[in-house]
Amino acid sequence: MAIFDFKLPDIGEGVTEGEIVAWSVKAGDVVKEDDPMVEVMTDKATVTIGAPKAGTIASLGGAVGQVVKVGAVLVQIELGGAGTASSAATSAAAPAANHAPPAMHTAVASGVPAAKSDGPAATAVGDIRESLPGSSFFTKKAPAAPAPAAPAVAAAPAYFAEKPLATPATRKLAREAGVDLRSVRPTGANGRVTREDVQAFAAKGASAGPDAQAHAYAQLPAEVRGVAASSAAASSAAASAFAGAPGTSGARAPIAVVAPTPAQAARETRKPFVGIRRKIAERMQTSKNTAAHFTFVEECDVTRLKELHARLKPHADARDTKLTYLPFIVKAVVAALKRAPILNSALDEVTNELVTRHYYNIGIAASTDQGLMVPVVRDADTLSILEVSREIDRLGRGARAGTLSSAELSGSTFTVTSLGKQGGLFATPILNFPEVGILGVHQIKQRPIVRDGQIVIGEVMLLSLSFDHRIVDGHVGAAFAYDIIGMLEEPDRLFLELA
Amino acid sequence: MTEMNMVQAINDALRLEMRRDDRVVVLGEDVGKVGGVFRVTQGLYDEFGDDRVIDTPLAEGGIIGAAIGMALYGLRPVPEIQFADFIFPAFDQIVSEAAKYRYRSGGEYTCPMVIRTPVGGGIRGGHYHSQSPESLFIHTAGLKVVCPSNPYDAKGLLLSAIRDEDPVLFFEPKRVYRAAKGEVPEGEYTIPLSEAKVVREGKHVTVVAWGAMLYEALASAEEVSAREGIEAEVIDLRTLWPLDLDTIVESVKKTGRVVVVHEAPKTCGFGAEILTLINEKAFLHLEAPPVRVTGWDTPFPYTLEMDYLPLQHRITPALIETAKF
Repeated sequence: MAIFDFKLPDIGEGVTEGEIVAWSVKAGDVVKEDDPMVEVMTDKATVTIGAPKAGTIASLGGAVGQVVKVGAVLVQIELGGAGTASSAATSAAAPAANHAPPAMHTAVASGVPAAKSDGPAATAVGDIRESLPGSSFFTKKAPAAPAPAAPAVAAAPAYFAEKPLATPATRKLAREAGVDLRSVRPTGANGRVTREDVQAFAAKGASAGPDAQAHAYAQLPAEVRGVAASSAAASSAAASAFAGAPGTSGARAPIAVVAPTPAQAARETRKPFVGIRRKIAERMQTSKNTAAHFTFVEECDVTRLKELHARLKPHADARDTKLTYLPFIVKAVVAALKRAPILNSALDEVTNELVTRHYYNIGIAASTDQGLMVPVVRDADTLSILEVSREIDRLGRGARAGTLSSAELSGSTFTVTSLGKQGGLFATPILNFPEVGILGVHQIKQRPIVRDGQIVIGEVMLLSLSFDHRIVDGHVGAAFAYDIIGMLEEPDRLFLELA
Repeated sequence: MTEMNMVQAINDALRLEMRRDDRVVVLGEDVGKVGGVFRVTQGLYDEFGDDRVIDTPLAEGGIIGAAIGMALYGLRPVPEIQFADFIFPAFDQIVSEAAKYRYRSGGEYTCPMVIRTPVGGGIRGGHYHSQSPESLFIHTAGLKVVCPSNPYDAKGLLLSAIRDEDPVLFFEPKRVYRAAKGEVPEGEYTIPLSEAKVVREGKHVTVVAWGAMLYEALASAEEVSAREGIEAEVIDLRTLWPLDLDTIVESVKKTGRVVVVHEAPKTCGFGAEILTLINEKAFLHLEAPPVRVTGWDTPFPYTLEMDYLPLQHRITPALIETAKF
């Protein structure tokens, strides 16, 4: 049977890897073409990949939580019909093999063609039995399909792995020294714990430090530790943190979360840190570790915007569009970006060039059950307020339903994050890296304001704008903020921006 | 003391033992008047006559079968198989008869005989004059297997073998026959069977070898000492079976690393058994995976003889990799 290697396809958008979120199949499963096999999360989207061909799943290319490179084998499919040919052959052969030996032995020993034996006919051999201890093994019904194999690629064998690598002599040394090899940071070839590692660890004893923390982790009851240790994500995350993987701060040691007592540990639950949550964590960390954030906050009197919104809403309703404030804000942002192109740029750290985008793709941060997602309103400068409104509505639904494509979730040049009714007073948004600006929009509240020397009730919203200070100077950011505020305070100015 | 090569030392042992014990009989193809193709039995025919030095037909099964009969009737036959490659016609006699007499008779009879036969390659012998079939006989319970590496050991071990009550395969490395010379005492002396010898002491890696490959192992040991400061401990097994496991284990416990060298093909070669025994007896002392440097899993070639043999250029990298694992 031919084995088909299904490799993680290049789905574009510069996606280079995907994280396995869930398997719908296991080794031995028979699949039809297009049957769902696996959910893979790329930079932003989680896609379900169907079987490219009919056959039997031969092996899985990784465990849940594992990151697979584009072009790496994701799953192996044994092609062909029912896909159970090999196992069928095995099960057919096994009973035959069971019956054959006694008959053959009798024939040989007695020199008589394999007649049904009436008892031992042998002369040269004293005792030819019809069955032997264990021969019933072959009369058992063979399983219809091979038992599900363990995932081909188990948890990355790594530092703190359940099975540390060490030579027998080193293991003996560790045993004698009372050192748990899982606690020792390996320095040897291929990740081996060396004799020197064990000696150094033993000499250091239980002194403070990451190793000591890890040691404490290793001392946890197996059932508690097992939850995390059995997860590929946990061990590979620990490993990648040591390796200084992208998104982590250099060679910082991973910090274990350790309950002081087993009793307390028993009152904790652990689950793998995988999927979108881990992706969000990595991206936030990259942004915070890279960009020089500064946040500018200012009031915005949106009394007139509110009046305008109230007047236009019936018109939008008539055209089956739910009109919010966000489309006005997006259009104001686009207009301001055109006047301050530096805010619509990004730093190419490879070529050391500042890349100014002359297109306006506005990311709209949306909260979903899975976590924060940022769908993108593409070419917002070419869309009317009504069209932006519809697009935001469509993307928001798609994000919550998890149906957006990778293209709809990437490629933004500037991001707006609206915190809605629970928007609070102000916040310090984190840049959607490598963008250099992000606008946080907060709750509209009635507040006393001074207008024409009179204290009146105004509709006030605060805007929080974060910038990458590496690229955006303070006064540039402030001017950009006031440009937006000006358009939102006098929304009829947006007419001037109509294309 | 006299300087002898291995041919002379074995000849000396046979002569001494035939003088000492008139039960000792030599038989084989061309061992009499010609004195053997390698001249190992030269002069014996003249001294002891044709009833103790017997030229036989070219029939190995017959040679061994006749020797078994002699042994059972109280003689001490020392049959020669001209090349170990030719021993297979006699395999049935050795395995089915000689090896089993002590066991079949409940210890009442033994089959004291020494089957002398040249082994090994490196002499441009081709497929049928170069093989090393020792593991076939080690695998056969009831046989002892000896393979000396030098004239002194050859003489002492042969005298022990002839005096042993059980059948002994005495493999003579023909590449060494005339290449190794050494001081050999006149008169008789014995070297006990089943005693290996540490021929070079070292603390970093143990090398187990025998016969002609011992010299390659020693050359590699000197090379890695000079180049890398790696001190290899080289053990000459001398008797392959019963194995002197204690000497090996003691050394491996010291070094934690071991390389076994033999000419025979790797698969099911004696190296496999040695490494398994080390794993059983010294597992917790291992600092590196045990390694075999052996002939390839092909028939012994004629043209690529020096590529087939596990010579110094193949042993040296194995020593370095194992020592630095």
